[in-house]
Amino acid sequence: MGQILQFAINGLMSGAIYALIAVGLVSVFKATRVVNFAHGYLIMFGAYFYFTFAVLVPQAAWAPEWLQSWRPEWMLAMRADLPMFSPMAAVLDWLANLPRIVLGLIGALVCNALLGLLIERVLMRPLMGQSVFAMIMLTVGLISILSGAAQLIWTSDAEFVPSLAPNTPIRFELFGSMIFLFGADLANMVIALLIFGGIVLMVRYTKSGIAIRATAEDQSTAYSMGISVPRVFSRAWVLASTTGAVAGAILATRNGISPSLGLFGFSVLAIVLMGGLDSYLGVFVAAMVVGVLEALTQWQFGGEWAGIVPYVAVLLVILVRPYGLFGSKEIERI
Amino acid sequence: MITGNLKSSYAADEQVLDNRWKRGFLLACLAGLAAIAAFGNNYVILIACQMGIMLIAVTGVNVVIGYTGLMSLGHAAFVAIGAYAVVIFHNTAGAWLPDSVATVVAIPVAVAVSALIGVIVGLPSLRVKGLYLAVATLSANFIVIFLIEQDVFAPWTGGMNGINTPAPNLLGWEMDTRREQFVLIAALAVLSLLAAQNLFRTRVGRAFIAIRDRDYSAEILGISLYRYKLMSFAISAAYCGLAGALFAYFYARILPEQFELDLSLMLVAAIIVGGMGRTMGPVFGVIVIVMVPEVITVLFGAIAGGGAELAQIRAPIQEIAFGALIVGFLLFEPFGITHITDRALRALNRWPFARG
Amino acid sequence: MLSVRDLHLSFGGIKALQGVGFDAVPGEITAIIGPNGAGKTSLFNAISGFYRPERGKVMFDGQEITGLRPDKRAALGMARTFQNIALFRGMSVLDNIKLGAHTRLNAGVFDALRYFGRAQAEELALRADIENRVIEFLELDLIRKAPITALPYGLQKRVELGRALAMRPRLLMLDEPVAGMNREETEDMARFILDVQEEFGTTILLVEHDMHLVMDICTKVVVLNFGQQIASGTPDEVRRDRGVIEAYLGAAA
Repeated sequence: MGQILQFAINGLMSGAIYALIAVGLVSVFKATRVVNFAHGYLIMFGAYFYFTFAVLVPQAAWAPEWLQSWRPEWMLAMRADLPMFSPMAAVLDWLANLPRIVLGLIGALVCNALLGLLIERVLMRPLMGQSVFAMIMLTVGLISILSGAAQLIWTSDAEFVPSLAPNTPIRFELFGSMIFLFGADLANMVIALLIFGGIVLMVRYTKSGIAIRATAEDQSTAYSMGISVPRVFSRAWVLASTTGAVAGAILATRNGISPSLGLFGFSVLAIVLMGGLDSYLGVFVAAMVVGVLEALTQWQFGGEWAGIVPYVAVLLVILVRPYGLFGSKEIERI
Repeated sequence: MITGNLKSSYAADEQVLDNRWKRGFLLACLAGLAAIAAFGNNYVILIACQMGIMLIAVTGVNVVIGYTGLMSLGHAAFVAIGAYAVVIFHNTAGAWLPDSVATVVAIPVAVAVSALIGVIVGLPSLRVKGLYLAVATLSANFIVIFLIEQDVFAPWTGGMNGINTPAPNLLGWEMDTRREQFVLIAALAVLSLLAAQNLFRTRVGRAFIAIRDRDYSAEILGISLYRYKLMSFAISAAYCGLAGALFAYFYARILPEQFELDLSLMLVAAIIVGGMGRTMGPVFGVIVIVMVPEVITVLFGAIAGGGAELAQIRAPIQEIAFGALIVGFLLFEPFGITHITDRALRALNRWPFARG
Repeated sequence: MLSVRDLHLSFGGIKALQGVGFDAVPGEITAIIGPNGAGKTSLFNAISGFYRPERGKVMFDGQEITGLRPDKRAALGMARTFQNIALFRGMSVLDNIKLGAHTRLNAGVFDALRYFGRAQAEELALRADIENRVIEFLELDLIRKAPITALPYGLQKRVELGRALAMRPRLLMLDEPVAGMNREETEDMARFILDVQEEFGTTILLVEHDMHLVMDICTKVVVLNFGQQIASGTPDEVRRDRGVIEAYLGAAA
């Protein structure tokens, strides 16, 4: 019992991250009717930008000392008294990294936002209104470009990336069994859920969110209502690339930096289709379900089999509900 | 300028090679292939073989994506199945057959197995279209490669580390040099291309195009969508399986990572670049997709002279070039190279009366 | 030939058809008319097999076909054209028409791949047949190799008729065959439709708005309004029917 619960909770935490990745995909689709097959590689860029600003920049010769590690007098004093692995020590270590974590996040957000804008303006804009196939293949071409570019720019091997929150171990009891978590993972999950929720609320209640939904329904009508459709497109892509940056940073702290981060994009693509392309709720449910299923598969069959869970899941769902669990059916007029 | 190309019988009108220029072109191509086989150096033969194998696969992909309009991003899985089927056959049932016969039996077996799995993978196309089908086929690709890599099947597939492959033996003619294998590959490539063109001169091919253009209208004409969509998948999978079989015979060893998503995307890229739904599309597409990395390699060799640093950025540059090709064609010439040649030939045909 | 009995069809809350029933006159031209939104195209779609009615039956040649898939109905000899021209834009006129004969051909995959042999013989025979029966008949010889996208609207409609004829149908359903045509084109099309009926004895079912055409060439007229059948009979009877006049012109003040 305890093991299932442990793995289930791990699965929920993974699921939250998938949901964060998925929210970008769904938002771009809602606004532009384009599914970005290269989203995973946007996330990879976000991870690499975080790496650049949180590790490479502080290491540079011209960066101030405190960027690399901020240890004021009072912290060193407190630290000296504490045992090695106490929670407080972990918090203090995290505080020492805080400047570069913040710089990393800001850098990643800004750079990825610019990247998203660039892609939208140069590549997506000209292809407005063309066939589904053209749109898919364009983002597929983007995969190669981003993957190659990342390899060109960052050639160093994987290094340690500071995690976003203090990495203390947390133990608590649930239904009579001990659950063991890392504080960083819990914090990542909370961040992911907050961002996801924030975006859903934004799309539902703010003016720009309504603009996105209007454009999603009918571009020409939105235009005539005074909504600047190109601006909606840009905003959607920036939204996707910034959430992708945060997701990338989280994934980097959890899985390490490597070009294979891009492959997450495909499993989340499967998740998004499983949940229904235009439904935030559906995608959230699908992400959680897949996260838990992956964790349980890992528990029963070993880590390798967990890799194909999203793909098997999407095939099974499509068989029963061709438009995803919560997706809306497209009706063709004969 | 071609004038007086008038026909006096329907049979003559139905011909594909209806004027001497087209017949000449075909003969020139065949002569070119023969010349390569006889006089080409090892490098040329290597590139030609790669192109030949890819041509067969891309022709298959053209059938399902270009002519039937079903989006499949997972056809590398069928190439893998063809390749591994050949190897497994040689190691199991084929071991009892004399060497000269094993190859001749293995190839049809590989094609049949690929076609069968093609039908299974094509089942989602009965329920979903477009994007969803693309992701479903992508998932199928991941799953197939995953299964091949598993230790459970390693005794047959060699798992992640790959497995050695036999050399082809055509009824006694043991083809262990690349040149001999080229003859086999070229012959099969030409035959596959011809067969694919034949398909579209008959009701089967027309049904595929009808499904692409307007499927409810196809239904009203009596075309069973179930039957023909699955048939399209089966045929394209069979072509890819044949390519996979030749791939296995050509290379000394095969690895599952050679058949991942990258290969699927490369096949689709070739058809975009070459031109979808046209017979010559795969030919142009394959030439470009195979030559571009080679050209980059040669350029790098010329510039760097073998420096280790530059060699490191060669692979990423090839990737970027590949992506740029796809993006460039989609933005500027979505109908591919065949459209460019169409325009050129039309202008040539009207000369000297055409302006520009 | 074709009988429709008590057909009911709804989309969610919208009742597209409520109890429609009639017999198409064999070998003659029957028209279905009604104001916009009356359910005429829905009726056609139900007869074609795209919609499954909740209640009621569709009978073809004495056989019930209510549950049959559209492609199976084609094999029985039911051909149809669409309101918004459903030609295949990637093919030429000739290829489109050849597709009409799909159910009459037999080549399988392996025959097709080989071509020389059975498939070629079939194709050449088909070509000769279509040239004589369809292309000459509908005067399409000059444009037979033209791509569909290059043709004007009127010619496209004629090609679609040709494609339906290639099936050698026993029932031909035409959904607004003269919509958007001028006087001349309408007369041409009317002539062709009459020729089809006289030459091949095909039962024709027509949905139309053009009253002149309907009154001129049809033997029987069925009138729908808001999914209900309000009249049925010869053109003269229907023309004088009170309910029909009200439906089209509104009740007298």
